[in-house]
Amino acid sequence: MSKSYAILPCNGLDKCAGCIAKELAIKLTETTDSQIICPVLYRTVDARYNKIVEEKPLLVIDGCGTRCASKIASEKSLKVDQKINISDEAKSNSITIENNLRLGKDELKLVDIITDKLTKEKEKVKKVSSTVFPQIFEYEIYKKDKFTFKVPKEGFLFNENDCWVYVVGNKARIGVADYVQHSLSDIIFFEPPETGSKIDQFGEAGTIESGKAVFEIVCPVSGTITAVNENLIESPELINEDPYGKGWIAEIELSDYESDKELLYYFDKYFEILKRKVDEFHV
Amino acid sequence: MSESTFMGVPREKIDWSPRIDYDKCNYCMECVKFCPHNVYEVRENNDKKLIVKNPNNCVVFCRACGKTCGVDALTFPNKGKTIKRIKEIRKEMEGNE
Repeated sequence: MSKSYAILPCNGLDKCAGCIAKELAIKLTETTDSQIICPVLYRTVDARYNKIVEEKPLLVIDGCGTRCASKIASEKSLKVDQKINISDEAKSNSITIENNLRLGKDELKLVDIITDKLTKEKEKVKKVSSTVFPQIFEYEIYKKDKFTFKVPKEGFLFNENDCWVYVVGNKARIGVADYVQHSLSDIIFFEPPETGSKIDQFGEAGTIESGKAVFEIVCPVSGTITAVNENLIESPELINEDPYGKGWIAEIELSDYESDKELLYYFDKYFEILKRKVDEFHV
Repeated sequence: MSESTFMGVPREKIDWSPRIDYDKCNYCMECVKFCPHNVYEVRENNDKKLIVKNPNNCVVFCRACGKTCGVDALTFPNKGKTIKRIKEIRKEMEGNE
């Protein structure tokens, strides 16, 4: 039952969140057959850990939004299996992290909560999508330097935050535009939205992450998440390879599409916006 | 050149930009490095070394710079209220046409 990870924790020992990351890593080695990768040593002498990272699924523990551990994982082209951000976990468990470097009761409680979450086997609920979405589209292309930005000509609507929606009946698929994956470059991690949860238009439908940045998927429509693209958890690079097809993010049962549509663009307008963005910002 | 409208509404009518909590900010400037829209300005000689210089350059509903903030010093306006306001303004504009 016990899971076994190669753990790459934050090493921010001058901050409380970093100390919690360290404590969590230790706790996991005590309760599971996991091994710690010291980020500092890994950076200087990676041979010491190369075998572990090959053998075990990687758990990255970031202390805060600076995401040093994630950035090291990206630098070393590691495949991330699981990811924890201590500050986010604290927030979602309504625990306030103090500034003290010695851990108090609340901090230790947080360590226990996260340990439980990581060691418990997740129930796998297979979601079967009943709606058939097309996979092949005709694209318009905009080129800039060595980059080619694709936008599908028909069927898709976009918000200004570069996320798309494709509607079939009362169901929709959402995803990110080609511009997003070019801006992020290699995507290493996908944090899916929760299946069954309600989402507002412009709400957060999960995040995707590269070594460069975290991108919040700004949901173009409102409704209930009925499925997420499970393939992205294993292979987030599908978003780079095929953002409008195999790299779709989630499926949503629509609740107010007529009203949502007022704040979405069809191809023509989005293509104009994209060109402007590329010219002004893409470097 | 910055964006002048969002969904047809003049950008300056939409109140959407990061708020900096100066009690938390440690001036690591990760948000400045991240944002390509020139929203922030660094003022080395001031008490507040970082300010939101061009709030209307901020992409409406984008909260991405907030994710770079290690100390969680950046917040954004209420999204639902902002959407409501945008829709109202659009209605008003239609009425004026």
